[in-house]
Amino acid sequence: MDFLQTTIVSFIGLIPVTLAQSLILAFVVLGIMIPFRMLNFPDLTSEGAFPLGGCVCGVMLAAGVAPFPAVLAAMGVGFLAGCCTAFIHLRFRIHTLLAGILMMTMLYSINLRIMGKSNLSVFGSPTLFDNVPFAQAGFPAAKIVVAGLFGFVVFLLLDRFFKTEKGTAVRAVGANPDMAEAQGINVWAATIGGVGLASAFSATGGALMVQSQGFADVNMGIGILINGLAALMIGEAIIGKKTVLRQLAAPFVGAVVYYQLVSLCLAAGMPPPDLKLATGLFVLAMLALPSLKRTRGSAPARETIRE
Amino acid sequence: MLEIRAAKKTFYRGQPDEKVALDSLDLKLSAGEFGVVIGSNGAGKSSMLNAVSGALVLDSGKILINGDDVTEMPVHKRAARVARVFQDPMKGTAASMTVAENMLLADLRSSSRRLRKGLNAARLAAYKERLSVLGLGLENRLDTRVDLLSGGQRQSLSLIMAVGGEPDVLLLDEHTAALDPRTADIVMQATVRAVDALQLTTLMVTHNMQHAVDFGDSVIMLDAGTVRLEITGEAKKKATVADLVSHFTVKTDRMILAS
Repeated sequence: MDFLQTTIVSFIGLIPVTLAQSLILAFVVLGIMIPFRMLNFPDLTSEGAFPLGGCVCGVMLAAGVAPFPAVLAAMGVGFLAGCCTAFIHLRFRIHTLLAGILMMTMLYSINLRIMGKSNLSVFGSPTLFDNVPFAQAGFPAAKIVVAGLFGFVVFLLLDRFFKTEKGTAVRAVGANPDMAEAQGINVWAATIGGVGLASAFSATGGALMVQSQGFADVNMGIGILINGLAALMIGEAIIGKKTVLRQLAAPFVGAVVYYQLVSLCLAAGMPPPDLKLATGLFVLAMLALPSLKRTRGSAPARETIRE
Repeated sequence: MLEIRAAKKTFYRGQPDEKVALDSLDLKLSAGEFGVVIGSNGAGKSSMLNAVSGALVLDSGKILINGDDVTEMPVHKRAARVARVFQDPMKGTAASMTVAENMLLADLRSSSRRLRKGLNAARLAAYKERLSVLGLGLENRLDTRVDLLSGGQRQSLSLIMAVGGEPDVLLLDEHTAALDPRTADIVMQATVRAVDALQLTTLMVTHNMQHAVDFGDSVIMLDAGTVRLEITGEAKKKATVADLVSHFTVKTDRMILAS
């Protein structure tokens, strides 16, 4: 009983901090979902674009740039990184995953170059979370309000975009590239733009994270991809992915639920080093589920035929 | 009007399995002409269609549509003028998108796509009307994902999508071959109705000799990448399945069965 009580108490204590964190990381999940689901372009760039956004934002904050332009700059640089990945894939016919690995490996050096060192403290610099009414600066409530609002606006804009003529065309490229091309859609432009947009969101997540935690680190991206993927799987399991609206809501819901689950595991005493193994196993299980279901489904079908 | 001038294409050039797909192929279809392309497997029918759509880049030769040279135009630019229905119903539609969204994509084939709402009320009403012509009930399933439709329904949708923008050239690549006879008949009737009503310049590839006899203004027989025989006018009207089959150098089982 004691164990349960301490677990619950420490979990509840962590809820606001975790919520703030998850709303920021929802941008990365969005950056993973868009290429994966909308463009059928499994992409790993986010693992490099997230720290890239963080590093760019950190350097700009350290140079005295205001927090919002710093986020915009991170977004722009992230967009370019995504464009590069898509271009590598399209021009040289390199598999999307390999293109993403190449990009994130190269970005590691670039991130180090941008910062000049592996870790940069921006503690004390102004952040987006400073000017929230009724919330003390630097506290989770302010972060929840800012990141949540920002995320909600992005969600609404994307929902509108994917229902416009242009947005429908981008989705068609993911659904059937040959058909899209035959319908006059420029597959290159749609892919490069779409993957660029996704990486811009991953970089935004990095920039917000740096403002939230007060420092930028070249290693802040390690493992972000598998976390994001796990969050996406959970979100899709809860919300579904049949319509544009649901598919876009899944990253946000998934991020919130996933990081609360992680927090619960940690509160229950799971050693943090085991976290990545657990996350990986979880993603594996989620991806394996459909194929397991199929095997089970086909067995009785054979039986019926024999009768 | 469609014109193919001295089109040449060789696959695996210089390798042991070198294959001449198109060998100085010349073809001319006047505006509104419905040409039926026949020929044994490997005769170059698909290569010719791919060359017209832009999916196949020619080694030499020219493709002209309404007098304009489109040889260098990539597929997505040529799409404003060329529409195509594939043999495989899966190929011509976006499976994970709805019927209405597919119609929208085809609707915008020849115009630029903007940042405005795609499926508005006016468009939905227009799509409903266009689909109702088929009599398959697709007009009531605008919000259904295309992967939930049957092969015949998907192919009918592809056809409506292709003829929708009144393309300068319509390419039909054995578009009824994968369908059951009844559905194939529905799709074929819808094809003829649309081609007649819109006076579309059409190139239809088929292995069905009865279709080649029954439909179209001319029969074009390909062999070894070039036009071996063209039957037009009165001769085409009088042609029988036996006539056509007799021109094949290699009689495949399928053709003999068809006769």
